[in-house]
Amino acid sequence: MAENLPEISSEPIVAGVTAHSNFLVSTGATGTKFLSELRDNKKIMGIKCPKCSKVYVPPRTHCPTCFARMSEWVELSGKGSLSSYTVVRYKEPYMPKEPPYAYGVIQMDGADTGMAHILGEVDLDKIKVGMRLEPVFKEQREGSILDIDYFKPSS
Amino acid sequence: MTAEQKKEEQPEFIQFRYPREVPYEHALGYQSKFANALKQGRIIATKCPVCGRCTIPPRIVCPFHHVKQTEWVDQGQRGRLISAFKINFPMFNSRTGELQNWENPIIAVELEGGARMDGWCAETDPSKLKTGMLLEAVWRPEEERQGRADDILHWKPVEE
Amino acid sequence: MAERIAIVGVGQTHHKSKRPDVTTAEMIAESVERCLEDAGLQMKDVDHLVGGSFEVADGYHCPDKWIIPELGAVGKAGLELQNVGTTGGVLAVASFNIAATGLFDTVLCYSWQKMDEAAGAFGRGGGGANEYWTGQFPMSPITNFARRTYAYMDRSGCTEEHIAMVRVKQDQCALKNPYAQLRLGLTVEQVMSDVLLAWPIRRLHMCPTTAGAAAFIVCPEERAKKVTDKPVWVEDWFTCHQGGALTMAEDPTSSTLRHACEVVYKRQNIKNPVKEIQAWEVYEPASPAELRWMEEVGICEDYTAWKLFEQDKVGIDKEVPFNPSGGVTATNPIGATPVVRLVEAALQVRGDAGEHQIPGKIERALATGYGGQGENVIMLLRKTL
Repeated sequence: MAENLPEISSEPIVAGVTAHSNFLVSTGATGTKFLSELRDNKKIMGIKCPKCSKVYVPPRTHCPTCFARMSEWVELSGKGSLSSYTVVRYKEPYMPKEPPYAYGVIQMDGADTGMAHILGEVDLDKIKVGMRLEPVFKEQREGSILDIDYFKPSS
Repeated sequence: MTAEQKKEEQPEFIQFRYPREVPYEHALGYQSKFANALKQGRIIATKCPVCGRCTIPPRIVCPFHHVKQTEWVDQGQRGRLISAFKINFPMFNSRTGELQNWENPIIAVELEGGARMDGWCAETDPSKLKTGMLLEAVWRPEEERQGRADDILHWKPVEE
Repeated sequence: MAERIAIVGVGQTHHKSKRPDVTTAEMIAESVERCLEDAGLQMKDVDHLVGGSFEVADGYHCPDKWIIPELGAVGKAGLELQNVGTTGGVLAVASFNIAATGLFDTVLCYSWQKMDEAAGAFGRGGGGANEYWTGQFPMSPITNFARRTYAYMDRSGCTEEHIAMVRVKQDQCALKNPYAQLRLGLTVEQVMSDVLLAWPIRRLHMCPTTAGAAAFIVCPEERAKKVTDKPVWVEDWFTCHQGGALTMAEDPTSSTLRHACEVVYKRQNIKNPVKEIQAWEVYEPASPAELRWMEEVGICEDYTAWKLFEQDKVGIDKEVPFNPSGGVTATNPIGATPVVRLVEAALQVRGDAGEHQIPGKIERALATGYGGQGENVIMLLRKTL
C-alpha cells in the first residue's frame, strides 16, 4: 500500500500543552481558628501539645513528635527574633511581593517553632539574624497568612 | 431558612482557591513521524515483526513482544467501528483549555491496515452507529493541520 | 526466603463529599489514629511508612513533607508513591514487599484523596496512555466506561435495566456500611431515569468524588502474632498495568484483571475461585464494570454476569457476596480507594465488618485496585496460614 507514496519526515516535534488547575484548599478547623484570629482580631495564635508542651505557630492539629491531638490555644504577642533570612532578587509567577524583598524565619516569643514570613520597612542590606521583629497587619484582611503584611524591626 | 440563620448554625471553615496555568512542552520523539504524516493527510503505524500487529500511537517497541518496530505501514483512509460513546455533559477541550459540549460521538476505529485509533464520528445520532460499520476519514484543510489527532475532523459512515 | 506477612490493624474515615473541617493532612491523621487504635499500637511502634494519593487531583507537590509531621512520624523511614487509580493498590503492594523483607517490623500504609478540593484539576482534558495523542480527546473515566459498557451490552445481551440492578445492589450494600459516602435507598426506576452523562452511563452509575482516607498496618509473621490475635494473612499479591487497553486490546470490554487473577490463582493453587474465595472487594469505577469484573475474576462465564443479577443472586447474604461494602460507586477517595477495598476485605476475614459482614466463615478474600484503562492490582487475604 505504501510503496509509491512520498517520504514522510521524521523531523522531531515538540508539542506545547498548557495545564489549567483551580484547586480549593481547606484550612480545616485548626487553620480556620488561626486565620480568623488574624483577620478579626489581629492576633497570632499558637497551639500547645498536651504531652510535650511545645507551642506551634502556625498551628497544626497533631504534634509532629507525639502524634497527640492539640486543642489548647496560646495567644502570642507576635513579637519575635529573626532566626534566618534571605533576599529574593529573582522573579517568578505567583510571588507574594515584587522582588527584591526579604523573606525570613521568625522565632516568636512564647513559641517553639519558627514561622516563615516577609520582612518589611527594613534596609535589605542591614538585616541581621537575632534582630527583633513585630507584625504589621493589612488594613483589608480576608483570613489569609498574608493578612500579616510583613514583619518589621521592633522599635 | 434564611442565609443569615444558616451562617449562625454552621461553623466557619476558611477555604481558598489558587488558579494556576502551567505550560509544558512534550517531545513526541519517535511519534513525530506519525504527526508529520497527519499533516500530509495520511495515517501511519508501526508494525511488530513478531505478531504483525500495527500500533497507534506508534511505539519503538511492541508492547506485547518487546521487539523493535522499525517498519511503518500506511493504514489507508477507511476503517470499521469498534465502539462509540456520546458525551452528554461539558468537557475540557485541550486545544482551547475551555469547557465545551461535544456533538460528535467519540469512536474507536479499526483501520484497513489493522491498527486501531480513536476519533470523532460525523454521525451525531448514536442509535445509527453499529459495530463493524465502514467509516472514512474526513480531514481538516491542509493549511489547518498541526500534526494532531484532531487533524482528522471526523469519520464519516460509508455505504457498502 | 520472604517473611509471611499479616495485616494487624485497619482504619478509614467516614467518607464524605466535602470535608472543609479538616486539611488533607488532618484527614489522613484521622484514619491513622483509627488504624493505630485498631492495632493497639502507637506511632512510636511504626518503623516504616508508605503513603500516597492520585497527586494530580490533589494539587500538592511532595505532600509527605506536610503529612509526615501531622502524623507525628518525623524521622521514620518512608516512601511516597502514586499511580493514578491504582495508587492505593501500589501503596499496599509496596507495603507488603517492605514487610516481607523482614527488615521492618511494623509498616504503616496511609492513603487519601480530598476530591472536594480538586475542581478543575482535569483541565488538561487528558486521561490516556499518551499525553499528546489520547490527551486530545475529552477522555475521562465516564467516557471510558461508557465505551466499555456499550461494547459489553452489544456482546452480552445485557440491558440498561440490568446495569441499573447492579447499581441498586451496590446501594443496598452501602446502606449497611456506615463509612460509605452515598447511601441513597435507590430503585431500578430511579437509576434508569437519572441524568445521562454518556450513554449508557448515568450519573448514579459513576463513582462519586469523595474526601476520605484509609490506612492499614502490616507486619512480618512473628511481630504480627505478638500484636494481634486476629492477624489477616496476606497470601499473595500481583500488579498488572497496561496502557491504552481500549484500542489495543482484542476485546474492548476486557481489562488485565483476568490475567492478574490467573497468575495469583495458579500460584496459590486455587481451582474454583467462587468456592475458595468467600469475599470480594473488586474495584468497580462504574456500576456496569462490576459485571465484566465478575467474569474476569472467574465467578461466571463471559458475558453472563448480568444473569446473576436478574436471578437476584448477588448480595451480602446471597450466593455471590460481591462488594459487600457498597463498592466504589458508593465511595471513591481515588488514591485511597484500593486501600478501602483491602481494609473492607480484611474486616470481612476478621468477621468485624458489622452490619455488612458476609455470613459464614471467610477463609479467603480478594481485594483489587483498578486504574486508567485496564490496570489492576490483586491482593489476596487469608484467615489461616
